[in-house]
Amino acid sequence: MNLVDVGLQATIGLAAVAILAATVLRGRARNVLAGLAVAGSGLAAATTGLAALTGLAGTGLWLPVALPGVAVDPLVLAPDRLGGFFMLLAGLVIALAAIFGIGYAHGAAASRTGWTGFALFAIGVELVPAAQDVLSFALAWELMALGSTVLLLADHASRAAVREATLWYAVMTQLSFLLLLAGFGVLVAADGGTSFARVVGIGEPVASLAFGLLVAGFATKAGLVPVHVWLPRAHPEAPSHASAAMSAAMVKMGVYGILLVTLRLLPYGPSWWALVLVFIGAISALYGILQASVQSDLKRLLAYSTTENVGLIVTAIGAGLMLRQAGQNAVADIALVAALLLAISHAAFKTVLFLGAGAVLHATGERDLDALGGLASRMPITSLTFGVGALGAAALPVTSGFVAEWVLLQALIHADARSDRLLAVVIPITMGVVALTIGLGLLTFVKASGVGFLARPRTPQAAAAREVGFTERLAMLAAAGLTIGLGLIPGPLSQLLAGAVGARGLATSGWTGLELAGLDAVMLDPVALTALTTVMLAGVLVVNGIAARRHPRREVDLAWGCGGERTSARMEYNATSYSEPLARVFGASLQTRRSVEISHPDDAPLLVSEMAFSQETVDLIEQKVYEPAARWTQRFGDLARRLQNGSIHRYLGFSFAALLLVLILVTR
Amino acid sequence: MGTEIYQQLIATTTGVLLLTAILQVWGRSLVRSIALLAVQGAALAGLVATVGIGAGEPEAVAVAVEVLLVKSVLLPGALLRSARMIGETRERPAAINTAVELIGAAGLTLIAYIVGTPLVGPHPDPARQALPVGFSLVLLGFWLLLIRRSAITQLIGFVVVDNGIATVSFLISGGLPLTVELGASLDVLLVVLILGVLVVRMQRSQGHIDITELKELHD
Repeated sequence: MNLVDVGLQATIGLAAVAILAATVLRGRARNVLAGLAVAGSGLAAATTGLAALTGLAGTGLWLPVALPGVAVDPLVLAPDRLGGFFMLLAGLVIALAAIFGIGYAHGAAASRTGWTGFALFAIGVELVPAAQDVLSFALAWELMALGSTVLLLADHASRAAVREATLWYAVMTQLSFLLLLAGFGVLVAADGGTSFARVVGIGEPVASLAFGLLVAGFATKAGLVPVHVWLPRAHPEAPSHASAAMSAAMVKMGVYGILLVTLRLLPYGPSWWALVLVFIGAISALYGILQASVQSDLKRLLAYSTTENVGLIVTAIGAGLMLRQAGQNAVADIALVAALLLAISHAAFKTVLFLGAGAVLHATGERDLDALGGLASRMPITSLTFGVGALGAAALPVTSGFVAEWVLLQALIHADARSDRLLAVVIPITMGVVALTIGLGLLTFVKASGVGFLARPRTPQAAAAREVGFTERLAMLAAAGLTIGLGLIPGPLSQLLAGAVGARGLATSGWTGLELAGLDAVMLDPVALTALTTVMLAGVLVVNGIAARRHPRREVDLAWGCGGERTSARMEYNATSYSEPLARVFGASLQTRRSVEISHPDDAPLLVSEMAFSQETVDLIEQKVYEPAARWTQRFGDLARRLQNGSIHRYLGFSFAALLLVLILVTR
Repeated sequence: MGTEIYQQLIATTTGVLLLTAILQVWGRSLVRSIALLAVQGAALAGLVATVGIGAGEPEAVAVAVEVLLVKSVLLPGALLRSARMIGETRERPAAINTAVELIGAAGLTLIAYIVGTPLVGPHPDPARQALPVGFSLVLLGFWLLLIRRSAITQLIGFVVVDNGIATVSFLISGGLPLTVELGASLDVLLVVLILGVLVVRMQRSQGHIDITELKELHD
């Protein structure tokens, strides 16, 4: 029994306590105790994960499951280093989301079912990376899917959109599970055991078949294009602590799965695998951020941004694998570490952002950016933490997002693209996509935090907003602290991550900085950079102060007010108008439906009494792929109705025909 | 009992079974169909007695008496009573004509022989050789269910299927213990009694007993 084993038991035990508390207690006590227990489970998982990440190997938990008549390898939960990292990530996110939920959960989300679902979801998401065999993996995976579906359904009674979103989510989740089941089935059939350790040396074409099925399944969970459609529906409709956990932790399990397949189960695949990953990653990143940039629903924007970030992660994985195959091991290692850094960085800032969006929703009842504004003075803590999260999402310095994308770009820049014709095409394009994505990400999050929190409130609800409660603020501050902490001190964690993917050529410079020794000793020391910037800014501040003292403050009136100085919140930039240029520039891939309604007074048809403008963006993939697919399914279902028309004679005929057929087949 | 007589008896009883089933497909009178069912039950009882005594089991006589009572007296009686209460004695016109029905019945009998013969194999026992008759009864019973519209005939078809199953089991096992057979036939009796009541109620509430009219699916 070492820390890993104790941690695993504590993870499961505390989640069980949470379920008990959710069932037995009621009201406020239920929120507090169940929330604390889930948070405890998350922290236990994080500790376990950290221990496993440092290389500590436990005997693991052996699940006593007997399947009559089926020979399976034992069901073992024992995270390796890579699994440990994802356990750490999931545990931290779950803990923060649960603490936020203590104060935030209300209505159905605070019910017995709500907290039980959350605890089940927590167990699932924490144990998926610990699984060492197909069966326990599938078990944890389904717990995760089940719990999240229950969470998503929380508000189903009051809003019809929730039911539709849940239907989409359930269909996509089950699709993902079916693909995984088929993929693992192929692996198990090929080598005869359910344990991951027994999957070695599987030849073509079985390996490629398994790769295709598994990656398709994991991509569905990760929200990659074109199987991202559930994200922008499910995330906005779930209670915010649940959407934070789903977006920051659950989606990462898809990423973990892709790493599991490409690094551990089938490590020596043909080169087109890596190409596929780079391709879907790059498409997802671009498509995700483009959609995000024109959304005005805050949570929908964050959901599309999740697709973008996962796309970047998968691009990094693909680039790493591709470079490894080209023999450029030093650069490949850095790209893989970049993937993990992107993952934990996204987990940190997306937790802040979703929790912040939840706080705003709680305070104003609105998640439409066009109806917000002016929250900075009314909700200072929320605005501050959301700002930090937005900095992270926009990959600006002193946040984790900056470090992660810096490492990715370093890897891409240092890759020797001339050595290989494929690389010569792929690497520059990837670099361009990553750069464009980062740029659009900056615009998107300037919009999210600028339009949402600055300027004047656009609606009375926004004007009446009040800061949220203690646990919510605590969770948001902690998550923002993680975002900045990872951004300031990237060195130690990066070194641990290097161990998780077997990478060399990474060192800590000073105590905190990061040195990519494998790539001409490129170095990033955020603490030193921050200190330097502060010193430089200090000079500017001093000069500014002296100048201000010399010239006392003067009142300046509006120069072009034409005698009137009426300004109103309706004159501000809002989310729709801010992203208008983007919607025009990328009109081909971002189709928008605009409608302008003009109403006239009855007696004067040439005068205008009111104008209303509305804009709606269309998800092209949904429109071109899913709607036809749904129509075909419907048509197929109608055919089935012809078979199933209620006539007793017809049913008798079916069974009679079946009987005759069986008889004839048996005696043939 | 001599082998010759044994063979003759087996052939007679199974022949009557098959003949009554074919005649049931042919005719449209409900009363005649029920009378044929009674004859079929008697033939089945005779078959049970023959097979049992041929296999040297005196207990088979008790089983035969029980079969005779249930399948030849009680079941037809119950069906006849339901038919009288409803007042319907003739089958409604069906979608296909009698010639097609009979050709179908002949085809099914043929199929029963084709699939039944390899199952029996070259077995010397004449009881085993008669096995396809049991299959034919099952298929013909099913055929009745498919081509008839009246709820009473559905019940008759169901009993014919059951007779076929009983025939097969008797021919293969050379006689069943009394308790097993008692359980099986009382089950069928119970089903027929309950459904007989249901048919009467259906007539009262709907004004007809045509099952093709019962098409509405519930969500």
